Order: sequence, then structure tokens, then C-alpha cells
Amino acid sequence: MLTSDTGDGSVLRMPLLPPGIDAEEVAGILTAFVNANVMARGRPIQPDDDFERAGVDSMGLLKVLLFVEAEFGLWVPDEDLVEANVTSPRAIANYLCRRRQLS
Amino acid sequence: MAMHARWKRTGQSNNTVMAVHCDGPLPADRIRRALDSFLDDCPWPASRLRRPFPWGKLHWAAAPRAALVPPPVRHATAASAGDLQRLIEDEINTAIDPTRESPLRVLAVDTAANGGPAPGVLVVTWFHPLMDPRGGQNLLAELSALDASTGGARRENGHVAAARDARPFRERGRIARGSLAYMRTLAPVAPVSPGGALTAPGRVRYRQQSFVERDPGARQTREISWRVAVVGRAMAELWRRRGLPDVPFLLPISVDLRPKGEPGATFGNLLAFHFARFRPSETDDVPALARALRHQMADAVRDGQIEANAVAMEFLHYRPLRTMLRALPWTAGGEIFSFNCADLADFAPALARCFGRAVVNAYHVPAVLPRPGIGVFFNRCAVRHNVVVSWVDGAVSEEDANRVVEAVGEGMGWARTP
Repeated sequence: MLTSDTGDGSVLRMPLLPPGIDAEEVAGILTAFVNANVMARGRPIQPDDDFERAGVDSMGLLKVLLFVEAEFGLWVPDEDLVEANVTSPRAIANYLCRRRQLS
Repeated sequence: MAMHARWKRTGQSNNTVMAVHCDGPLPADRIRRALDSFLDDCPWPASRLRRPFPWGKLHWAAAPRAALVPPPVRHATAASAGDLQRLIEDEINTAIDPTRESPLRVLAVDTAANGGPAPGVLVVTWFHPLMDPRGGQNLLAELSALDASTGGARRENGHVAAARDARPFRERGRIARGSLAYMRTLAPVAPVSPGGALTAPGRVRYRQQSFVERDPGARQTREISWRVAVVGRAMAELWRRRGLPDVPFLLPISVDLRPKGEPGATFGNLLAFHFARFRPSETDDVPALARALRHQMADAVRDGQIEANAVAMEFLHYRPLRTMLRALPWTAGGEIFSFNCADLADFAPALARCFGRAVVNAYHVPAVLPRPGIGVFFNRCAVRHNVVVSWVDGAVSEEDANRVVEAVGEGMGWARTP
């Protein structure tokens, strides 16, 4: 896999999100991951659900970020770890799509 | 959780306390009835810790239902905040011997009121290995639900204890050995409380302080790595005041293994541990330390260390200390960790009301071992951020603990609230 140093401490493994995939689809992938690996069976979340309110803790969020790294090739840099970017599956998807446009 | 040989037969407490402040007095008789009714379904609160003769694994054993004696529920009155503090400290320090008595007891405290109805405080104390803080909240939620229903409520999620790991013994053994091998690589550490001559444990003390966010809009994430970095800085200040060298800190960070979105199991160990490492000098730059800790944690998840620790914990379950020391020789000197720190998360939403009273605030006060002798515990109840510092007299002074509370509140950007 190709990699490039972004200069801000994060490493992009190219391509960051295939061009054809949109935020809706990314949010769906993230939601499916969370429901399969973090949430209790029978307690699924929706793409717009707030992680905190759903009971996802610091470790759960870390698992999601590691999944983002493995699936989409981006280790979210620390300065981007603000609530607005990681509050829900859709927020992370929107963030990833913004990063794609920037790159 | 093993009792270290150094503190054996010294009456060292392994209690943990959950204090729930409500908007009115709590009815001890209703709590008694709920506990009695709970025993119809689950004998754990009335069980005893037993080891089969002549050998075998420690386990919880209970008599038939007819012979079960519900845990004690007592009533007390506190005329002042100081009285309440002393009552709670007595609860922490009166060690529960789970081989001879219930591993759980309840104290309903009426406090003095200024005109209005007297607030009540429910103090639930248990032998720490019986359940973790979330388990304690689950139990209280069930008791409260039993009290609210005339016919007896049943558990929503249907399991009282953690499900057994279905993987073959050989596979679990391999994973556990890997985790123990990793833990053996952790260097021996000195606690932040080197009270040198402390060979008999002092009284466990605590200080609880509630905070609110100064600017909720500016809040970043609730990451544990940030909290550990802030606490680390406070501990490094304590360390420097003692003029100690820049040797690495080591501390365990508990990870709740329950699936999210439901209460999960009540009894047993549902925690795994990640071990954070950093030098006191690294705490000068808290954001950089938080980043480093986050990377350590990410590496631990990637390498499967946390999952492996969960399996290893199951193998260490109620083991005699001597066998644990063989597994973790670096604990032999009694210097296990530099300090304790845990985020006990949000108080269970199911406990917005408890025995008919609105819950105003709630927090946990675990007894800490004489080494390291100090721990910082976070939790949230509605908008309140609680910080509890628990320490052992002689290992740390009250002034040290107060400084830690202030430094943590400041580092988190919080404002004190009564």
C-alpha cells in the first residue's frame, strides 16, 4: 500500500477512501462495525447516534479509530480528535470525506 | 485481587464503597425487603468465599435459599458533612471478611437538612472482588426496580454473572501465558507514596470533589489518556516534592469488557487491564503525554494485549498470592504500581431514581492498597464530574491528596461545585 507523510503526524495510506464511496456509505460501514464489535447484541446504534449516549467509552472509540486506520488508511491525528469529528459514525464519516477532499 | 503477604493479617481493607446522594431519606426497611427478594433469584450477596478442603479454587458458595441470610442493612444519621465523611470512611475501613460474613452491606444515612426534607445517602459497601463499580450500579438498579415493582422485577438483560469463555482451555492458557509474559517485561516501579517505614497499613481516607465544565462547548473528547496525563502530572508534582529521581511510572488502566448499550453482568470480574508507562518528566507537556498514552493504548489493542489480559485475569482469579507472585515476580517487593487511576464512567442512567428518591450525585470510593497508597477515580453523574482521591494515611498526607484534587480539577479545566 502506498503511504505518504502528511506533515502533521498522521500517515495516509493511499488511497484514503476510494473516490466512489460517499459519506453515507462510510457511515454505514462504521455503524456496522460498531454494532458488531462494540455494542451489545440487540442494542444497535444508527449512524447519527451519539457514541457517548449509546455508552461507547474511550476504549470503544479507540477500536473505531483503529478500524478507520485499517479500513480507510488514516490514523486520525490527535489535533483532529475533537468531539465534532468523532461524536457519531456519521461525524467520523464526514470528517474522513473532508480529509479526502483536502488530500 | 490478591492480598499481598506484606499486609496479610493486618486488617487491610479490600472494601469498595458506592455513595449515592438522594433528594430525601432512604427507607432501610424497603432496601432490606428488596435484598431479601433479590436472593430468590441470586444468592451472591449472601454467599461466602470458600476454598475446597484440602485444595481447590476459591469460589463463592451459598447455602440453600431457606438458610440464606440477607446482607445487613443499617441506618445512621449524619449531622454534618464531616459526620458523613467519617461514616463513609468507617465503611471503607471496616474490612469485610468474605469467608465469614456477607460480601456486601448497606448503610442508609439521613443527613441534616436546612428546612427542607433531609437528603439521604445510600452507602453500599462490598468486598472488592465480588463485583466492579458498574456491577455495583447494576445491583442497586435491580434492587431499586424490585422495590418499585410489587410482583418482583426481573433482570432486563438476563445474566447475573459474566458468561464463561467458551474457548478451549488450551487456547485460553496460551493467550494468558502470552499476557503474563508481557507483564513480566514491565519493570519494577516505585509508588508515588514511598512512605519508607510503612509496614502496617494506615487508615484509608478519601476526598470527593464535584466539578462542572467551565466551557462545555470547548470540551474535547473524554479520552482516558487525557485524564491519565492530567493525573500523572499531579502525581509527578507529588513525586518531585519528595525529591525522587525521574524513573518511569507504571499504572494499570481498567477496561470494562461489557458490551455497550446494556447494563451487562453484575457479579465477577468484567475488567481487563492496560499498563500505561511514562516518566514524571514527560508530564511537563500534558497534551504530548496524552498523545503518547493514546498511542500506547492503540498499540495494546492492535497487539491483542488487552484481550489477552482479560484471559489472564480469569486465570489469576482468586489465586493465592504466592502463585501470582510466581507469575508476576516484579510484584514481590509489594511495589506493584506507581498509583491507581480509573474512569468509572457515567453513573447508570437506570439509577436516576433510587428507592423512590431522585439521585443527586453518586461516586465510588475504593480502598487502595498501602502500596501505592493513592488512587484517583473519575466518574460522572448528570452534569457533575466527580473526582475521588483515596489514600492510605502514612503513605500520603491529606495535604498531598488535596493538592492532587486541585491539580486534577485545574488540569481538566473544570470549576468546583458544592
